[in-house]
Amino acid sequence: MIVNSVGFQTLVKREMVRTFSIINQVIWPPVIQTLLYVFIFGLGLGSRIKEVQGVSYAQFLIPGLIMLQLIDQTYSESSSSVFQGRFMNSIQELLIAPLSAIEIVLGYVVAGVVRAIFIALLITALGAVLVHAAPSYWALYLLTIVLVAILFSSLGIIFGLLAEKFDHIAVLTTFFITPLVFVGGVFTSMQLLPPLLQKISLVNPMFYMIDSFRYSYIRTGDVPLAVSLGVVTTLAVAAFVVALRMTAVGFKLRT
Amino acid sequence: MNGAVPALRIENLVKRYGDFTAVDGISFVVPEGQFFGLLGPNGAGKTTTINAIVGLAKITGGSIALFGHDVVRDWRAARGTVGLAPQEYNFDRYLNIRDVLIFQAGYYGLRGPAVAKRADLLLERFDLTSKAKLVYTKLSGGMKRRLTLARALIHQPRLVILDEPTAGVDVELRLELWSMLRELNTNGTTIILTTHYLEEAEELCDRIGIIQAGKLVALETTKKLIGEGSLQDIFLELTRR
Repeated sequence: MIVNSVGFQTLVKREMVRTFSIINQVIWPPVIQTLLYVFIFGLGLGSRIKEVQGVSYAQFLIPGLIMLQLIDQTYSESSSSVFQGRFMNSIQELLIAPLSAIEIVLGYVVAGVVRAIFIALLITALGAVLVHAAPSYWALYLLTIVLVAILFSSLGIIFGLLAEKFDHIAVLTTFFITPLVFVGGVFTSMQLLPPLLQKISLVNPMFYMIDSFRYSYIRTGDVPLAVSLGVVTTLAVAAFVVALRMTAVGFKLRT
Repeated sequence: MNGAVPALRIENLVKRYGDFTAVDGISFVVPEGQFFGLLGPNGAGKTTTINAIVGLAKITGGSIALFGHDVVRDWRAARGTVGLAPQEYNFDRYLNIRDVLIFQAGYYGLRGPAVAKRADLLLERFDLTSKAKLVYTKLSGGMKRRLTLARALIHQPRLVILDEPTAGVDVELRLELWSMLRELNTNGTTIILTTHYLEEAEELCDRIGIIQAGKLVALETTKKLIGEGSLQDIFLELTRR
């Protein structure tokens, strides 16, 4: 599958160099935003809520906040890197090299996964220190991060290719990702919602990501774990296949 | 001009964008070691042809082979043989210029001390060593032009394609680049050059192809093409039709 492994690794490394050269855009905002959410919602307002699903509200909040930041950062970084490469034509460095579509797409996606794990670990450490919330099921913790990062890195590639201007890549974030994540269980358990909203939550893909990830912390969820993981895996595979297909046909890459 | 397999073989190349035909059935061969000039007015199809050679444009019809490797069927081997110095500065803005070279080599599957050494040699050859740790936006126009050439050479391609390599540079740098290109060609690298400076093609190229409206209207050695006149006269005569 990967023939030019050095080329693939070079692309992953390049994406990491990019991430750390804009660390104030990529790494610190999710950490600081999480800190604010924890203080205001978790420790402030949340102190009035006794417990949710057997843990304090602040502890309940942490996995949802990690997902919120991961989804946002993974999509933003992947889409802006691809779009910027197209905009500045620097992506031609990849296109003229002996790199296949799978090597290019995997390069962006693996970089997205590494970035996601890094951000998640930082916020996890914050949660452990501030509200004593830590994952108890590390394999599931990692698996969910990897699947979600594959999904949103792939979506980033897709929208980085579709976009005609920077404004276009914000469409998915503004109108879909952010609203769906916020109503997808970051702040509340589905069990606390009215029956109608519970049914609506079931068609929100973000709900399954957050529920699966929260399971790695509190070992319980609103829906069976297999269902959550099944939905997330299906979406990740579908997005990856679309990103791969678009790259393979040279969509807006090769004239 | 030694190898039996030519550096570049284009057969009946067609490239269409919707209803517009940018390249209309051109065919030519560039033997290994030749310094070949591809000339034509703006919009004639030169850059489209180059993009088709390096894989940036999808071929509508015909075929292209680099050192016997078809650029579609055997694309990986074909791309390894060619280096492109595009007209625009499309460097990675997150890398310093030494890393621009090292990462470019990486995309070609090369890494390690040998690559670092070659990057340093190229920086030295192109008088960029003192700027090695800077990003390209900090370089002057002439330095960016030299970096474009250095990047095209990092993986030691057998064929280098230069799209307007001296556009927008002063006379001194142009002469310096000519000298570098001659040296490169003398050392065995095949060169394909597009330029709007006819004296540049006359000075450097062994053989010239002229494209007009997507068709090849002349293909001859520079000496024969010019004959008793000047390249400018011939060019204007052929491209005014």
